[in-house]
Amino acid sequence: MAEQKVIHTDILIIGGGTAGCMAAVEAKERSPKSSVTILEKAHVDRSGCLAGGMNAINAYINKGETVDRFVDYVRSDACGLIREDLVRTMAELFEYGVKRVEKWGLPILCDEKGDYIPRGRWNIKINGESLKPILARAARSAGAQIYNWIVVTNLLMDQDRVVGAVGFSLRSGALYVVQAKATIVATGGAAGLYRPNNVGDASHKTWYSPYNTGAGFAMGIRAGAEMTSFEMRYVALRTKDTIAPTGTIALGVSAPQINAKGERFMATRYADIGGDGAPTPYRTYGPLMEMKEGRGPVYLDTRGLSAEQTRALRAAYLDMYPSMVLYWAANGIDPAKVPIEVQTTEPYIVGGHCQSGYWVDVNRKTTLEGLYAAGDVSGGAPYKFVSGCWAEGVMAARAALDGMAQSPLPHVPESQIRLEEERAFAPLKRHLRHGVTPPDLEARLQKIMEQYAGGASTYYEMNEEMLGIARTHLAQLPTECEYLVASDLHQLMKAHEVIDRVDVAQVLVEHLSFRKETRWPSYQTRVDYPKRDDANWLKFVNSRRDKSGTIEMFTRPY
Amino acid sequence: MPVWIDPDLCNGCHGSRQPPCLRMCPGDLIVKDQTANKAYLKYPEDCWDCLPCVKVCPEEAIEFHLSYQFGAKGAKLIPHVHRTNDTITWELIDIHGAKETFTVPTKLIPVAIDEKIEEAEQAIDFSI
Repeated sequence: MAEQKVIHTDILIIGGGTAGCMAAVEAKERSPKSSVTILEKAHVDRSGCLAGGMNAINAYINKGETVDRFVDYVRSDACGLIREDLVRTMAELFEYGVKRVEKWGLPILCDEKGDYIPRGRWNIKINGESLKPILARAARSAGAQIYNWIVVTNLLMDQDRVVGAVGFSLRSGALYVVQAKATIVATGGAAGLYRPNNVGDASHKTWYSPYNTGAGFAMGIRAGAEMTSFEMRYVALRTKDTIAPTGTIALGVSAPQINAKGERFMATRYADIGGDGAPTPYRTYGPLMEMKEGRGPVYLDTRGLSAEQTRALRAAYLDMYPSMVLYWAANGIDPAKVPIEVQTTEPYIVGGHCQSGYWVDVNRKTTLEGLYAAGDVSGGAPYKFVSGCWAEGVMAARAALDGMAQSPLPHVPESQIRLEEERAFAPLKRHLRHGVTPPDLEARLQKIMEQYAGGASTYYEMNEEMLGIARTHLAQLPTECEYLVASDLHQLMKAHEVIDRVDVAQVLVEHLSFRKETRWPSYQTRVDYPKRDDANWLKFVNSRRDKSGTIEMFTRPY
Repeated sequence: MPVWIDPDLCNGCHGSRQPPCLRMCPGDLIVKDQTANKAYLKYPEDCWDCLPCVKVCPEEAIEFHLSYQFGAKGAKLIPHVHRTNDTITWELIDIHGAKETFTVPTKLIPVAIDEKIEEAEQAIDFSI
């Protein structure tokens, strides 16, 4: 038996990232006497998506805009399907979150009148290199108890109610048993389901944080939580090789997409749906078709920028994606002279850009008693980005405080803790000679997903037959997970990351198979159902895994 | 290798069990050889190029490299974090040797040289 640390807390937050830190501050400020505990897989100062920094807040109601118009925009950008109640409530809290983080020290660029400088319709510019340490410091100062390097493996259940979580320390190997009156899951989304763009020592040169491996989705799936819209994957248009965000160029210096012939193909071929301002999936699909049909590479046309503009562009990347600047320097690229080549990424599952995640009510309560969800792990509300994650952290904290007041004392049978301990540490105890290593299983998973479930190499296309093969192959993997071996605690973490992704991938394939239309080309290209079909499919595809492991699929009305 | 800790410059943050580079890596990829008193990147294939380790090193012992598959060696990007004010100065040298510097506003958040492993972090010397 491992050393065991038992913690009792009012509110447990799983994941100390963008949403989790904000939830901690909100909970402590509203209810100073309540205990708030954060379990964080890395170190809260530099964990998750914000580790490298951010150079913009991409969801903000700029002067002259309204929440109503934001909701309209997001609906259109998501091709007609969103949870309006969720998008509206988060938009109403953008100002609250942004103002707080500015007060905590975030430099936000202002004009001479003191107004924030917009970068596009819903964006403002920041110097956010230290955004994550700023949030961590706020959570710490507010009095949250933060435990770093705790890999949470499962939720703790009292019948059907969530009453905390179990995990292990990446440093000491101790088992952490945290009993909570209310639990907020804020672990982020999932990278690493599909083959990454790059190989070798650049295989983690992904856009989405490679350390966000779907843990929060997976623990919810195993506990029987209802999930929504996994089929709305996120495939990003990013700079070639470095996979850096393109908004810095496209919005920052208004660079349009051009193909190899110099043609502004979005303006010509996609004029009917908005040209360069088409919904985000089409701004991935458009360039993808140029490449598929032999008119690639595709570029963002930065030629003609002034020296001042190119310098500002590089400075902006230093706040978020410094490798872009080094890449240009190493390859002799001057964006004012040559256009910047772009490519599309591997598909991610991320509720902050798209809407895959927990099905929640307007207060961000999940379908499981005692469990709330915020940020990229929470579904139904795309276009969330950083400020939307803050807003959801705030709402989840408020709902968790209300919910815990009515919550009876939990009863957790010792047998459940012992079973989870056994499951959590099993890869350490197996004999190495006969085992499957985490990278082996990851490669197997990524091969299946890449080739049969719409990976980049098939232009993200899929049909029922391909998905059937993916389903068959994936069905073997839970058994394979029983051969996973780990030689140390780091490898044990890697083992759980791949176990979690297998659970997520199985649900994802069922979602992709269930939606018999193509609503979001490139995110979800069904070649056997190539058209958008509002008459039959303007509704949410949801799922729930029962205790036997069967994934039940159903719909919810718009 | 995306980042490289120069063993000649790394002093292991003296007796620190968990030096800042090790703690600030979001992927748990850096370890310290306590005997040699040096930190090193144990899992280069899992590096995200996010650079907290580079920025936090008090000795500036960590070099940022592009993966070689992305471009020629020779270009350099070096962040100098000012420990007394809210700016970072980035020094950029391209493959032709041309130098350029960028001084960018930030918020300086101090990072301790070591930290106990199992204790919960409390509100300590930080005030907002």
